[in-house]
Amino acid sequence: MAAMKIPGYKHCADSPIQQLLPPERVRLPIAEMLPAVDVGDRVEAGTVVARSAPDAEWQRRAHSPLTGRVVAISEPASEEGPTREVVIEGRAPTETSARPHLDAATLSADRILTCARDAGVVGMSGAQFPTHVKLRPGVPIDCVIVNGSESEPFITCDHRVLAEHRHEVECGMHLAMRAVGATRGEITTGRRGHPFGQERFVISDVLGRDVPDGRLPKDVGVVVINVQTARALHHAVCDREPLLERVITVDGSAVASPGNYTVPIGTEVGHALTQCGVRLDEAAVLVAGGPMMGESAGLETPIGPGTGGVLALGHGQISDLLDRPCVRCGECMESCPFGLPVVLLLEEPNEALLQCIECGVCQFVCAAQRPLIDGIRSVKAELRAGRRQG
Amino acid sequence: MTRGRSGAGPVIHSGRTTPRLMAHAVAALAPIALASTWRFGTAASVLFGVAIATAMLCDAVCDRRNANDGSAVVIGMIVACLMPATAPWWLAAAGSAIAVLLGKHALGGLGRNLFNPAALARVLLMGLAPAAFFSPLWTIDGRTAATPLAKELGASPVTVVDLLLGLDSVTLGDAMPVAVLVGGLVLIALRTIDWQVPLCYLGAISLLALVLPPGERIVGHAPWLAGNPMAHLLNGSTLFCAFFMLTDPVTAPFTRPGRLVFCTLAAAYTMVVRYYTPYPDGVAFAVLLANASVPFIDRKMIWGSVGRGASDELPAVDSQYLAGDEGGQG
Repeated sequence: MAAMKIPGYKHCADSPIQQLLPPERVRLPIAEMLPAVDVGDRVEAGTVVARSAPDAEWQRRAHSPLTGRVVAISEPASEEGPTREVVIEGRAPTETSARPHLDAATLSADRILTCARDAGVVGMSGAQFPTHVKLRPGVPIDCVIVNGSESEPFITCDHRVLAEHRHEVECGMHLAMRAVGATRGEITTGRRGHPFGQERFVISDVLGRDVPDGRLPKDVGVVVINVQTARALHHAVCDREPLLERVITVDGSAVASPGNYTVPIGTEVGHALTQCGVRLDEAAVLVAGGPMMGESAGLETPIGPGTGGVLALGHGQISDLLDRPCVRCGECMESCPFGLPVVLLLEEPNEALLQCIECGVCQFVCAAQRPLIDGIRSVKAELRAGRRQG
Repeated sequence: MTRGRSGAGPVIHSGRTTPRLMAHAVAALAPIALASTWRFGTAASVLFGVAIATAMLCDAVCDRRNANDGSAVVIGMIVACLMPATAPWWLAAAGSAIAVLLGKHALGGLGRNLFNPAALARVLLMGLAPAAFFSPLWTIDGRTAATPLAKELGASPVTVVDLLLGLDSVTLGDAMPVAVLVGGLVLIALRTIDWQVPLCYLGAISLLALVLPPGERIVGHAPWLAGNPMAHLLNGSTLFCAFFMLTDPVTAPFTRPGRLVFCTLAAAYTMVVRYYTPYPDGVAFAVLLANASVPFIDRKMIWGSVGRGASDELPAVDSQYLAGDEGGQG
């Protein structure tokens, strides 16, 4: 019996991208950036509302997607709580002002990187790492992979972007290739299911190169960017447009109109769900992102640049964590992409656990319905603490 | 209304939960219970009923929180399957009590017990209550036994059809080997058990039946058993063991290769008991003996591979950066 394949649940794969009625309020998580506006300030769509400190290693920018007023700048309640947010009320611009269109063929690598930085382009598959930093790897790169293998169940937004805006994605890929000096570019669409859309598996599938534990794709001469990142790079460079919106998938049995929708960055989960006709009494859990690696969300949780979807899953679609005794069925090890004996590593920690990417497959198959990811996170934290001391 | 979920990680699940797997096992054991009732009459149903009820009661007393996962029903049914058809009701009750109280809970509880609880109960009872266990159908010297594995010299050889229909069976579990096969195939079809485990065990049994030199008892009393794989496969509790005992995840090794070593070992023990000891069947002994090697097999086969993964090639980069570098779902 082969390891279990995670089902796709790609109900929205054929739903064209639609525009949601824009929200009248957005919450922009600004994490370690410094606010560039004060409460009460008027902002235009595209105004920089926060940027990294000048001496920060990785420069970030956050732009207002709405024209309106800054109504609050929240401080984090606790270290584990939500990060600092700039809350803006206003309305989305009806028409973007026409800007001079740049001819990508004549641009220098530096110009591309500057445009990416100023537009606040970040990785849009979850981790939100600044793209201009990634495109300045400092080592020779021969291949840029645009990763369209969104393997999370339910999520189809990248698939739709690729189907409807492929030329923009290809333009973004060529810009990335020019920026890193790569001669080869690949756009991938995976069929292997979760977690094989993760970049290390994509690199292995496409190029046959293995990224060693603890190394980055650039160490094997590859840069991987997400489909929507490539598209944002195209807009940033060719249209000089900052990153203001993204395409998400809204799905789940409690959603009346599931589909793929363009939303401004910072749109609240509740707004997106309401526009899609959510029946909150039928929703057992709300998720920002995919059902495997996404975070459970509240109605006010903002949709960030890396949020691929908003799910309102019904009771029949989710599973409780019951934490029954392990029956040693071995499925966690069998299904783990790294072959880690997960439950045994939780009892007897071993540094091998540090290669775990928390894809969640072990917890998905665990017959005892144990909270393995929680356990993995705490054991990994202990292992790292031990290594720092040792 | 929605609720936040406290735990991290996936919110969806494969649906293969412990209670579901136990329900599969009960469904697969049901044909065997029916076949034994058809073959031995209501006495068989009484034994099944007593064994299941005792197992559930003992389980609820020991661990109320997990008592509803169905594992007690499975243990009770397996205990009953290992009972001779002539067993008094209290033998089934004692078997379930030993299996659940001693085999499961005293040895660590579900998931931690080293030995197959039902095999442990059967072996202890064979030692403690031999009279109830063996008479009148079975004797350990093979002289008055009716099972083909202990058949006397001169008895007519049994055909494969006879064997499949269990016309010479003794325990409830092998009342009708066809029923065991059906149940086992159900478990394989539901992907509850690996098909490799029964195949490996049955294959090793066949091979050993051909190559091992038979011992005195076989040569003296049942020479037709020597070098006859089919007789060993379809007799005694061989099939039952292959599909319902060696496939118990708790008491088998953790890894798939480890499980193959484990069932090869169990096959070797089975044939050694059959060929060289006074006991005609031997699967319960074999299961226990193989169980005893599981921690060793696991230690060799799991940590060998994991240790290599954690070599000196450890993250030079802070893994926060790793995770932060567009490592998302793509």
